[in-house]
Amino acid sequence: MTKLADIMEHAGLSMYAEVALVLFLAVFIGIVIRTYLPSRRRALDEASRLPLDEAPIVAHRKAEER
Amino acid sequence: MTFTAVAPAAGTPRNSAATVLERFSYDDDIVRKFLFATLVWGIVGMLVGLLIALQLANQFFNFNTPWLSFGRLRPLHTNAVIFAFAGNAFFCGAYYSTQRLLKARMFSDALSRVHFWGWQAIIVSAALTLPLGYTQAKEYAELEWPIDIAIAIIWVVFAVNFFGTIIRRRERHIYVAIWFYIASIITVAILHIFNNLSLPVDFLKSYSIYAGVQDAFMQWWYGHNAVAFFLTTPFLGLMYYFMPKAAEGPVFSYKLSILHFWSLVFMYIWAGPHHLHYTALPEWASTVGMLFSVMLWAPSWGGMINGLLTLRGAWHKVSRDPILKFFVVAITAYGMATFEGPMLSIKSVNALAHYTDWIIAHVHTGTLGWNGFMTFGMVYWLLPRLFQTEIYSKRAMELHFWIASVGIVLYVTAIYSAGLTQGLMWRAFDETGRLAYPDFVETVAKLLPMYWMRAVGGSLYLVGMFIFGWNILMTWKRRPAVYDVPVFEAAALSRGYSAPKDVQLPAGVWARFTHAAWHRRWERMPMLFSALTLLAVVVASLFEILPTFLIKSNVPTIASVKPYTPLELAGRDIYIAEGCFNCHSQMIRPFRYETERFGEYSKPGESVYDHPFLWGSRRIGPDLAREGGKYPDLWHVRHFENPRAVTAKSIMPAYAQFLTKRLDFGGIQRRVDAMAMLGVPYGDAINKAEAMARTQAQSIANAVVQQGGPKGLEDKQMIAIVAYMQRLGQDIKVQRTAQAANAPANGAIK
Repeated sequence: MTKLADIMEHAGLSMYAEVALVLFLAVFIGIVIRTYLPSRRRALDEASRLPLDEAPIVAHRKAEER
Repeated sequence: MTFTAVAPAAGTPRNSAATVLERFSYDDDIVRKFLFATLVWGIVGMLVGLLIALQLANQFFNFNTPWLSFGRLRPLHTNAVIFAFAGNAFFCGAYYSTQRLLKARMFSDALSRVHFWGWQAIIVSAALTLPLGYTQAKEYAELEWPIDIAIAIIWVVFAVNFFGTIIRRRERHIYVAIWFYIASIITVAILHIFNNLSLPVDFLKSYSIYAGVQDAFMQWWYGHNAVAFFLTTPFLGLMYYFMPKAAEGPVFSYKLSILHFWSLVFMYIWAGPHHLHYTALPEWASTVGMLFSVMLWAPSWGGMINGLLTLRGAWHKVSRDPILKFFVVAITAYGMATFEGPMLSIKSVNALAHYTDWIIAHVHTGTLGWNGFMTFGMVYWLLPRLFQTEIYSKRAMELHFWIASVGIVLYVTAIYSAGLTQGLMWRAFDETGRLAYPDFVETVAKLLPMYWMRAVGGSLYLVGMFIFGWNILMTWKRRPAVYDVPVFEAAALSRGYSAPKDVQLPAGVWARFTHAAWHRRWERMPMLFSALTLLAVVVASLFEILPTFLIKSNVPTIASVKPYTPLELAGRDIYIAEGCFNCHSQMIRPFRYETERFGEYSKPGESVYDHPFLWGSRRIGPDLAREGGKYPDLWHVRHFENPRAVTAKSIMPAYAQFLTKRLDFGGIQRRVDAMAMLGVPYGDAINKAEAMARTQAQSIANAVVQQGGPKGLEDKQMIAIVAYMQRLGQDIKVQRTAQAANAPANGAIK
């Protein structure tokens, strides 16, 4: 453990945290923009109806056992 | 908006002439199984909850029985209600909604059954091992390593079954509820594996590979996200499916639900350190935790508003439909709990609330209100559909709703006042600048009326559970002799799908961008897309966490801090097995009212050999970080034998069995070896741990006899736990006296 800690200490990785933060923010902003694109409106409206939009029942069968 | 006309092409492949229609049915048998498991474990978990509530109100309810004592049963209660009750409820709703949202039967019925029976077996093993004292001492991760491995395997079975269903789906778009399920499945797997990494000593004992500050950081990264990804995101997924179903209309804003999802996924991971404010955790880490927690306010409330506004135009139904009533209260409780959570993460608020019942009240608003009521509403909605008959009693649903609501109100008001009362009493000074309540037990005795009221509230909620169970059983009894299995029809998704050629591409830069070939292909791979996105989230989290973990300078070492002696280590393991950490913290915060009461505040370097850390999260009894040397050995012997013989108002269970139970000297060497393997510098003890333990035990036993105590304790558990008590916090005192001794010699004295 100590050895690994030494390696990590000297690798100077602390900057990566800030880089990760900026990347995260960029990706998130990208998602917000994409969600509100006018071209996506129809697809998302359709998607919002998915829980209510069940496949049609075409037949019935009985479960073998209870 | 010239190009909206072509947009449907991407989402409606089933209109295409080239597609093949397929027939299929859903597996509702597995949903029924999980429904019954939810009910059974809910009752068990809440019964244990009521018992431990009574134990706090009056220690009589510990029945002087080790396996029924508070320290051992409290983890059983939390595990049972989180992983058994809420877990089975999530699986129940997820198996029902996933099949329907994806228009596909589960990938494998066999895997579904392995998941079900495996999960129940894990719960049973938890219910057996926790009262017997087998615990890792990390909250919500108490289960020992063989059970942890079983959890990981069953979780993978669930994941394979779930992702297999996604791959075989007949609906191109993956609805947002499924996203919440995906995030939960992946994140829980990662949290579980990393927090439970430990080195086994024997079949049911292990030591966390992390120590002290790092173990604490890891534990609350887990603990916080277990709440987030076991109790929040799965139930949000359920909300986004069952709420529109019950309200018979789509969710208020699907766009908002997408943002709700992504902001939770991005932010939740960072919020864990708010459980460790003012502890020995580095300050920057707890500040980051606080900032992200406060930011979580926005998406959480966005989600709450989205859930409630789904009822737009349907509010008149709420007064008539108990299912909607349950959902409305559940979502409101989600809103209250997620308002309070960020507030509690603000350091100055946290200073008052931490270690008090306020946190317990916060958690129960969330679990009783949000998880419980979501589950009840969902199950009531499912009953007629799963058992293909009318619900037995609608009036019983109404009664359940009101009795449980009153139960929640009684529970949380009692416990909020208990938390505030105790928090304020701890920090109160009188006009001479001394602690107003120097005797810790005064701050506990004050709470007993509120503990009784809590037990009453909890009982009402439990009565509601029984009404719920009765209604389920009676409905089940009315089921048809043979269940009808409807057969559905939908088009298969073809791999080589492409947008119809004859559609004219719209003009404009944006349109050209969103209709570019790569973009269309990307949009058609939601499965790959979500997997990669989550991978990114996970990798980024590790980047954030790992360096802070491994950089040495974050935990300054203290030269005088030495490993526990073999006997003290054995005592520490008894402390862990009895669950003492459930009521006693070992972390003195740097406030005057804490240092006045307990002594010098805790330093990060003091717990570097603590595998696992035992900082605790609640003070039902006093902090023990500086317990060593405060009292003579005999005081501890008498106190363990009967706490009320020493402190009249104490509510601690008696541990008289320590006087008679033999200490397992033979097992000490293995424990020391395991610790040495984790990097604890044990030196000599590596070869002669047992002999060292016997010598130290003899000298403490002699001291006890000298002070007028009982003879013959040298081979009993009492000696080990007393040795551990007397060691706590001593290393820093050693350093102080050394400085004091050096000071005059250096001539540095004022």
